[in-house]
Amino acid sequence: MPFSCNQIFETSSSIYRVLFCALVFFSLTGESIKAQDDADRLFTLRVLPVMKEKCFGCHGTDPDDIRGDYNMLTRDALIGGGETGDAAIIPGDPLESPLYKAIMWEDMEMPPKETDRLSKEETEYFRDWIKAGAPWPTEEVQLKIQKELWKVKENEEGMIVDHSGGTSDDWTYRRYKKEEIWAFHAVKDVEVDLESDDQNPIDRFIEKKLADAELKPAKPADVRTLIRRATYDLTGLPPTPEETSKFIRAMEANPQEAWNELIDRLLESQHYGERWAQHWLDVVRYADTSGFSNDYERSNAWRYRDYVIRAFNNDKPFNTFVLEQIAGDELRPDDPEAKIATGMLRMGPWGTQMIPQKEARQIYLDDLVHNVGQSFLSMPMRCCKCHDHKFDPMPTRDYYRMYATFATTQPAEIDVPFLPEENRKGVGPKKKLVKELLDYAMSKKNELVNKQESAAKEWYEENDLPYKNEKDRLKDPEDDKPPRHIGLTYEEQGKKKVREQDVWIWQRRMERYKPMVQGVYNGQDDWKNGRKLRVAKKIKQDWRPENHILAGGALDAKGDPVKPGVLSPVGLAVDPEADDPWAITDELEGRRLAFAKWVADDRNPLTARSIVNRIWQYHFGKGIVKTANNFGVKGNQPTHPELLDWLTKDFVDNGWKIKRLHRMIMDSDVYRRSGTPINATKLAASDPDNKLLAIWQPRRLTAEEIRDSTLLVSGELNREMGGVPIMPEINMEVALQPRMIQFSIAPAHQPSRTPAERNRRTVYAYRVRGQADPLLEIMNQPNPNESCEMRDSAAVTPQAFTLLNSDTMTDRSIAFALRVQEELPGDVEAQIARVIRLAFNRFATDEEKSKMTEYLKEMQNYHAENKPEEIKYPTQVVRSLVEEFTGEPFEFVEKLNVYEDYVPDPKPWTVSAETRALADVCLLLMNSNEFLYVY
Amino acid sequence: MSTIKRREFLYGLGASLGSVAFSSMLRGEEVAAKKAIEQSPLAPKTPLLKPRAKNVIMLFMEGGPSHVDTFDPKPKLNSLHLEESKRATGLLTGKRFYVGSPFKSRKVGQSGIEMSDQWQFLADPEVADELCVYRGCKAESLNHPEALLHMNTGSRLGGDPGLGSWVTYGLGSENQNLPGYVVMTELALPQAGPANWTNGFLPAYYQGTRLRSKGSPILDLNPPKFKSRAHQRKALDMLAKLNSEHAALHPEHADLKARMESYELAFRMQMSVPGVVDIKSEPEHVRRAYGLDRKETAEFGRQCLMARRLIEEGVRFVQIFSGGWDSHDYLEKGHSSRIASVDQPIAALIKDLKQRGMLEDTLVVWTGEFGRTPDNNYRGGVTSLGRGHNADAMNMWFAGGGTKAGTVVGATDEIGAEAVDVVHPIRDVHITLLHLLGLDDNKLTYFHAGRYKQLSQFGGELIPEIIA
Repeated sequence: MPFSCNQIFETSSSIYRVLFCALVFFSLTGESIKAQDDADRLFTLRVLPVMKEKCFGCHGTDPDDIRGDYNMLTRDALIGGGETGDAAIIPGDPLESPLYKAIMWEDMEMPPKETDRLSKEETEYFRDWIKAGAPWPTEEVQLKIQKELWKVKENEEGMIVDHSGGTSDDWTYRRYKKEEIWAFHAVKDVEVDLESDDQNPIDRFIEKKLADAELKPAKPADVRTLIRRATYDLTGLPPTPEETSKFIRAMEANPQEAWNELIDRLLESQHYGERWAQHWLDVVRYADTSGFSNDYERSNAWRYRDYVIRAFNNDKPFNTFVLEQIAGDELRPDDPEAKIATGMLRMGPWGTQMIPQKEARQIYLDDLVHNVGQSFLSMPMRCCKCHDHKFDPMPTRDYYRMYATFATTQPAEIDVPFLPEENRKGVGPKKKLVKELLDYAMSKKNELVNKQESAAKEWYEENDLPYKNEKDRLKDPEDDKPPRHIGLTYEEQGKKKVREQDVWIWQRRMERYKPMVQGVYNGQDDWKNGRKLRVAKKIKQDWRPENHILAGGALDAKGDPVKPGVLSPVGLAVDPEADDPWAITDELEGRRLAFAKWVADDRNPLTARSIVNRIWQYHFGKGIVKTANNFGVKGNQPTHPELLDWLTKDFVDNGWKIKRLHRMIMDSDVYRRSGTPINATKLAASDPDNKLLAIWQPRRLTAEEIRDSTLLVSGELNREMGGVPIMPEINMEVALQPRMIQFSIAPAHQPSRTPAERNRRTVYAYRVRGQADPLLEIMNQPNPNESCEMRDSAAVTPQAFTLLNSDTMTDRSIAFALRVQEELPGDVEAQIARVIRLAFNRFATDEEKSKMTEYLKEMQNYHAENKPEEIKYPTQVVRSLVEEFTGEPFEFVEKLNVYEDYVPDPKPWTVSAETRALADVCLLLMNSNEFLYVY
Repeated sequence: MSTIKRREFLYGLGASLGSVAFSSMLRGEEVAAKKAIEQSPLAPKTPLLKPRAKNVIMLFMEGGPSHVDTFDPKPKLNSLHLEESKRATGLLTGKRFYVGSPFKSRKVGQSGIEMSDQWQFLADPEVADELCVYRGCKAESLNHPEALLHMNTGSRLGGDPGLGSWVTYGLGSENQNLPGYVVMTELALPQAGPANWTNGFLPAYYQGTRLRSKGSPILDLNPPKFKSRAHQRKALDMLAKLNSEHAALHPEHADLKARMESYELAFRMQMSVPGVVDIKSEPEHVRRAYGLDRKETAEFGRQCLMARRLIEEGVRFVQIFSGGWDSHDYLEKGHSSRIASVDQPIAALIKDLKQRGMLEDTLVVWTGEFGRTPDNNYRGGVTSLGRGHNADAMNMWFAGGGTKAGTVVGATDEIGAEAVDVVHPIRDVHITLLHLLGLDDNKLTYFHAGRYKQLSQFGGELIPEIIA
């Protein structure tokens, strides 16, 4: 049969053609040999992979279950056919071959599922291959063919990525489309062709794309909108009316100067750090407790929170911020600040209770690998724990090299002296309250222990044996010691366990005030109990963990051994000359620092892009890459790749300074646009998600901004910074809600004793993994067990209940009313104007004033008739538990000592009907969309 | 269509997410409201497969009910009572001894399902012959919180969506005036707390809403006492005015409307929730059937009755937690009192559902987080008659919703130490539950943290023996 390369060229797809051109280059001489080679290649590279993927499952892989008795695993069987007895392939004649007809879905439909059906191109491979005589080269020949292809780094099919190697050649040499692995390529040095000298480069990139899409950018936002937007963005708080008036006047004089001054003032504000730290704390999952069974307190986590706030306020270069969090203890062992920073490595939920030690250790390290990757590199690592990454060029080997990097890292509470800038105000009285609870638990426990031990003593006397205390007699045979819990009723047995647990809890909390940090040290694996993690007494300097690839992530499925290393596909070698260019030290110490230096390297294409994208995202509500935690193939691609690279390079070249980046972004026109489109219909049709940023995208306030703003307008906000967590007043039902932990009930949420202590910014509020503040939770504060790249703001009905009906919001509305009544006594209309101005940052219209005044009067009448009852705070709560062993319920008393000397906020029953009426108005304003959205 | 797009399309995600909340509405209202329902993330959706069940009531016995003392009796174990046990698995250490069941067992109903004699009401053939007891499941964790999370969210680590979240994500809910996924607990929350019914990475619409037994059924459902309903209505009207004037300035911003609507929905929910919760409207004989007149059954009975009322109103997924099953010691006392507190209510629930023709569409699931060991250790050096945690064996049962009535599926070994027949991990139970609801675990996915997440984590297989 006449057969030539040309024929194939004519009948096949373009991709195939190009591939073949590449192959022809390696061809041998002689036309028939070449034709034979071509057919072999066609089989090896095209036909066989399709059969492996779509046919062998039913026709070969399982020898006990061969469908239609048709085995496709060898050439003879493949040609021979199945149960019908007819040949499946007539070499040279595809159109008469039943196999070809089947894949064309003519007589038979194979593969049977629509989703598996072969593409046109794929059927053409089969056709051409049958035409060429359906050869099946030996495995040796197949391997040779493949190896030739692997030499071609890049072709129309995509590119092969250099890395430490997958668990199979198929994976190692698979190809990626260049644009889908954009994040692994070096940051480009992009030229901007500015249209004028004073154009912000950002605008050039944005407007180019808008022009391409024939969209007109919205007009600049008005002055009030701008100051409110900028102030919320940078500080998480609204501007005051005074700040607004001043800004408006300055804008009239010199808009550019006024705007720059505003940004400078806001960036200098201490509240800037509080707001931007919150973003980072979302990513790293900050909480004050450990999660898992007992949700033990991480007493000193607050020092890490304050470190992050300081870092933002001091504009710490981001590369330093990276180094300190991953390896501060190795970087500057004598610097408390650097040690506090390693709290980042302690942010995941973790515990050891009833988990085999090796497994608990694995959970900790898996969490570190995944979250370090996700937080700093936007590279979630969990996928390649069990196998080479399904989509990204990330081998499971690198997962375990990174795992080995952390394999000497041990979590612990570590002694680190307090810094002068750390807030330790009011420690005395706060500590006293905790001490009282500890003493109470201790005395209750001792009562029961004493009762038990006096019965035990009697037993020993009766049995003529020397007394041994509870601990010493534990291992004695049953006949030589008194029954367990001797002298105690079932109820008392349960109570004893409760008090023992309480003692632990309050001892933990006392540590808040000690100069310790939740940090890490380098050392050997040894036995750990999550409730108390201390540095090993003796560190074995020569200890080296053995690490392996774990197939399927199973501890007992050890594969190749691995040494510490960085992520190879990122394309940044640690030492390009070395045999293993991605290896780092395998000493006990220094692994993290080497890794951190690689992360924070100017040339690392992920790190700077990741943070630049996050900063952009928090300004605009979505990133240039929408998936801020995932720059992999399954993440989104950048909407403006050139802009991202330009900003990234500028960021790195200028010392990784975040405040500079804020200035650059906020100086742009795109940041200062209005939310109203020039042509709404057109925008909705061509860019419904506003990816091109023709308009400013309004956003709802975050949970923290809502609470902080209500405190600010009500005049209650205490701007004190940092220190041990504050306890806001939360919903009383939830505060007293029993929360099960092992053997006991976790302590009730008790608010801080005075308004000044508790009415501070929400970033300082005690964050318990097992119990969220319902107000914050319902307003979409994320669960701290998972990294949150971007807040959700889904409007669910219970939000309305909380914002309208909760005691917290009632209290804020009363305080707001009182504030304005004090400012403007007696003048109801002025009060209305003032609350509107404070809440909305604008003057009330005459219509609003008259409507609201009318409403206010109606409410005054209502409240004159309807007096609230006083609600008293409980000073103790009776808890009920079911005794673990007996199933019998028993009760015990939990002390709520804060309420013994509590200073409440103004309450409905402490104020007049007039105040309650004005509070109704305030409550509505705080529920309104104008208050809750930033434009 | 790309994979992502197609999946978003299938489950109505994508663009409509921000649009309408928990949304609307009373049957037979205006077109706009209807449209809101259609666009709502909780709008009823038709599953891809033919569903056998439409709703789920999950009865969760927290603490690890002992299979050998409930629905998987082991006479052989009684003959080994107090003999030394040589079993060595997992975390077990020290000397151990076998513990026979303190309860007798018998075969009940026409189907002859064997269960402990403590079940007096469930033994009623009318109820027993509806059960499909499954004895082949193996859990993984020996620790309560992780095991609870595993059974409830498919993941031991916490942070993944609850079963009910996945189900409402896949099916929506029939009644937009009530939450689609309702959870009832004892006064104390189960271990691992709200993580058992979190929406995890799914949008917030799918979170479980706790219907509280004391105080306000939903947190802050009603205003403080000094504000009347009329007062609230006035406030809402005023708020609507403020908001609509504001919305007029931002016509392109759809979120504003959604939030405005959510306040109106809230007001309607204020009306409908107390109605459902008010079980006084049930006839006396029904209340008595559920055991509301007896101290030991009153609380769980009330919750079972509420479950029926919620399902009747179109709620998709109801879960009730009963605690205290963790009998390390004093097994006889512990388990008999726990059984006594749930036996009558559960039997009444199944009969009631049956009588109303609802059992066909309603899948009732009874389970714990793991089973218990046939032996015990010398706790504090004393022979305590209880059992430890056992991840290798447990039992659960199903009723209604397309499960095989009157059968026992799978088995544990002769002392109940380990599942040996029709053995499946928890994920297969999950896949089977979804399948009964017409949902395919492999297709009910959500893109999160770099991959499509699914309830089973990585897929698994059906347990066909359970399906009728």
